[in-house]
Amino acid sequence: MDEITTVFVTESREQLAALEDALLQLEGSPEDNDILNAVFRSAHTIKGGAGVVECNFIVSFTHVVENVLDRLRNGEIKLNGDLVALLLACSDHIGNLLDVLAAGTPAPDADLAAEGSALLNRLQRDWLEKGSGGDAPSSTPPSARDEPLHSSGGGEVETDCWHISLRFGPDVLRNGMDPLAFLRYLTSIGRIVLLETIADSMPNADEMNAESCYLGFEISFASTADKASIERVFDFVRDDCTLHILPPHSKLSDYVALMSQLPEDPMRLGEILVRVGALTQAELDDGLRKQQAPPENDSADSAPQMPLGEILVEQKVVSPELVDAAIIKQKQVNDKRAAEARLIRIPADKLDKLIDLVGELVIAGASVNLLATNTGIGELIEATSLTGRLVESIRDAALQLRMVQIGETFNRFTRVVRDVSRELGKDIELSISGGDTELDKSMVEKIGDPLMHLVRNAMDHGIEAPDVRVANGKPARGRLELNAFHDSGSIIIEVADDGGGLNRDRIMAKAVERGLIQPGQVLTDAEIYNLIFEAGFSTAEQVSNLSGRGVGMDVVRRNIQSLRGTVEVSSTVGQGSRFAIRLPLTLAIIDGFLVGVGRSAYVIPLDSVVECIELTRDSNGRDYINLRGEVLPFVRLRELFEFRGEAPARQNVVVVQYAGLKAGIVVDSLMGEFQTVIKPLGTIFHHVKGIGGSTILGSGEVALILDVQALIQRCTAHETQRAEQPASIR
Amino acid sequence: MNQVVANGTRQVSTSKGADDSPTQYLTFSLGGEVFALGILNVKEIIEFGNVTEIPMMPVFIRGVINLRGAVVPVIDLSARFGGNASAVSRRTCIVIVEIDSEDGKQDLGVIVDAVNEVLEIPRAEIEPPPSFGAKIRADFIQGMGKVDGRFVIILNVERVLSTAEIAMLARMGGDDGNTATE
Repeated sequence: MDEITTVFVTESREQLAALEDALLQLEGSPEDNDILNAVFRSAHTIKGGAGVVECNFIVSFTHVVENVLDRLRNGEIKLNGDLVALLLACSDHIGNLLDVLAAGTPAPDADLAAEGSALLNRLQRDWLEKGSGGDAPSSTPPSARDEPLHSSGGGEVETDCWHISLRFGPDVLRNGMDPLAFLRYLTSIGRIVLLETIADSMPNADEMNAESCYLGFEISFASTADKASIERVFDFVRDDCTLHILPPHSKLSDYVALMSQLPEDPMRLGEILVRVGALTQAELDDGLRKQQAPPENDSADSAPQMPLGEILVEQKVVSPELVDAAIIKQKQVNDKRAAEARLIRIPADKLDKLIDLVGELVIAGASVNLLATNTGIGELIEATSLTGRLVESIRDAALQLRMVQIGETFNRFTRVVRDVSRELGKDIELSISGGDTELDKSMVEKIGDPLMHLVRNAMDHGIEAPDVRVANGKPARGRLELNAFHDSGSIIIEVADDGGGLNRDRIMAKAVERGLIQPGQVLTDAEIYNLIFEAGFSTAEQVSNLSGRGVGMDVVRRNIQSLRGTVEVSSTVGQGSRFAIRLPLTLAIIDGFLVGVGRSAYVIPLDSVVECIELTRDSNGRDYINLRGEVLPFVRLRELFEFRGEAPARQNVVVVQYAGLKAGIVVDSLMGEFQTVIKPLGTIFHHVKGIGGSTILGSGEVALILDVQALIQRCTAHETQRAEQPASIR
Repeated sequence: MNQVVANGTRQVSTSKGADDSPTQYLTFSLGGEVFALGILNVKEIIEFGNVTEIPMMPVFIRGVINLRGAVVPVIDLSARFGGNASAVSRRTCIVIVEIDSEDGKQDLGVIVDAVNEVLEIPRAEIEPPPSFGAKIRADFIQGMGKVDGRFVIILNVERVLSTAEIAMLARMGGDDGNTATE
């Protein structure tokens, strides 16, 4: 069994489990469309996957099941206990068919096949043929045996649907058209029976232009409208797209002609046409073999099928070179799938357990290392340092397991922006950059909600309505940016808009009204902007259903703070605002730099350490030094933390950098690098400024991790306060 | 099988009774006074040692210890009651107490001068707390237990070790009053 099949079987089993769950839920609440859709989706995914691995017996079986589900979804038949039982039996049968596929047998054995046809007959008899009846043929299974294949021999294909081939030009999105809108409009004059998205022209991710449209659709469309009215649907994009419409009951040769006209290779097109239900497999083969002997009734699924490409060559439809090219193309597709197949899905809690254990291992390793160093036995030290290095690698690898790219989270917003901007009657484009920046999985999960708040806020309050924008001399189309990048041991996620910016005066007025500040209080711009993160603050004059209830921003800040992150806002009136979320890379383990003050040890995150220098005597009294011509302010940890006792004769300055700001931290001794497993300090110490967490040293003692940013902020604030109130005793 | 079930129910019933008033108490001395804690709150008792101080904290927060890989805050009860920080002696212990806080269960260490014994105090032998005179805040006292003709102060753990209150005090200590940075 090759890799694709393995993946298909695994995934289908998951889908089956989901299908079964959903069916059971559906029984309890038959009216719930979400659940019904979930059932349909699962069945459809299985069928699609089976099509990819060319497992026809699963395709044909699932196809009928899907038809029943489709009718259910369209309200043509009502769900009852019998149907649920039947569908459950069908899902069991699909499970059995999967076993057959997994075992590598080309077709199910007689018993299973009999069981399958019994189920199919029941579905067909009880649920597909009764009721309104008329529109059943469109959903004819590709190779159901009771299908009168002879009738298709005459040249007309079996479907009574229009077939629409649609390829959008690259500029469709840029011209402000939404491909989906056309499809939605299409449904107003008929019913899309089946739709296949063609994304073959999509280049590799790095070559892709997010503003270009690479989409195409093959649509099987049931409608009583005439060709002109279908064409009219696409009037707006007429110049920008390739459109082929085949009326119902077109000649097979028309389809073959269509296949050769379209840019994709015919082999795939043939498959796609079969999948949309425009042609049945039998019809396709039939059409392509029409100069040969008349087809057997069930040639489609029992006789070994000739590759489509060869048939096409034989039929002089395509040249052999084209087929070769198509095969290479298909191989590439297969390779890509194989790469995807190398992914293993693991429950997150197993991973967390591993990370926890690695954390303990790191602590235990540090302890062993310490003991070894104390003994002074060279060989032992060597052995432990080797172990230490390995543990370090394991730690890195384990942490890497949890790192995911933020791009996926960002991409979710494309849809959000599109929907919300339409809802608001604004024209907003989303630009995403830095999607390949990696951060901890748990972080990605938790950052979604705050980001959503910020994005919605930016669209609702930030970006103005198009007429206001034009009046202000800005392009009517608003711009929202999502950006992510790494900066000294943190990841920064930015949400920026080019809207009106934050209104200083309105925020002030609101804050006074809400009692957040006193009237007449003097605040800096940054302080004012940060007021929007206070609880119960909302400046929107109109509360929309998107935002404006004033619950957003303080929740955003709280969520971000709970990830040990910060959020800052900067804004220019008339030009927009920018929210920067700064998050630590990981929640579990960091590289630390161990320093000592008095008898205590502290850990400074290594990413923020630039260098270490000795504190020279002549800097006594002043709290800054000359660092190669630069003024470097420093903070004496000993004073800040109110240590008793004299400082030792030799002190060191650890130069740290944070958000472009350099500062020194004066400590007694430098103890070197240390792998730091972060242990939370608990709610009691939640508000302690300058301490980010704790860790356990090899000796079993607890060391505190310094929060460099908070520490520097604290000192700045201190200093400012001292400057403002010189008389106060400190 | 029956045995197990019976055991299970018995356990449930004891812990139910404990909600109203536990009957077993751990007594300890602190500054010459004898106090009692409901036994169900006590997780373990360990020797005093290796407390890492946290800077910028009120006196009653002694620091944190490493309890088998978990970092546990340690509270100086004597200082919490408004007295001086307890001096460490040979008999000084840390009682690990489990309390329910808003964010689930949390462990806290409590420094005591010496641990005495586990006592059973019948409900009838517990007097309501005096409104003053006990030298500690009245809401810290759950009741006064009578043991051998002496009074033992039964502490109200939820109040004495209220994480919300401690966090607030810690914040005030840590902030040095300059809330402007917020």
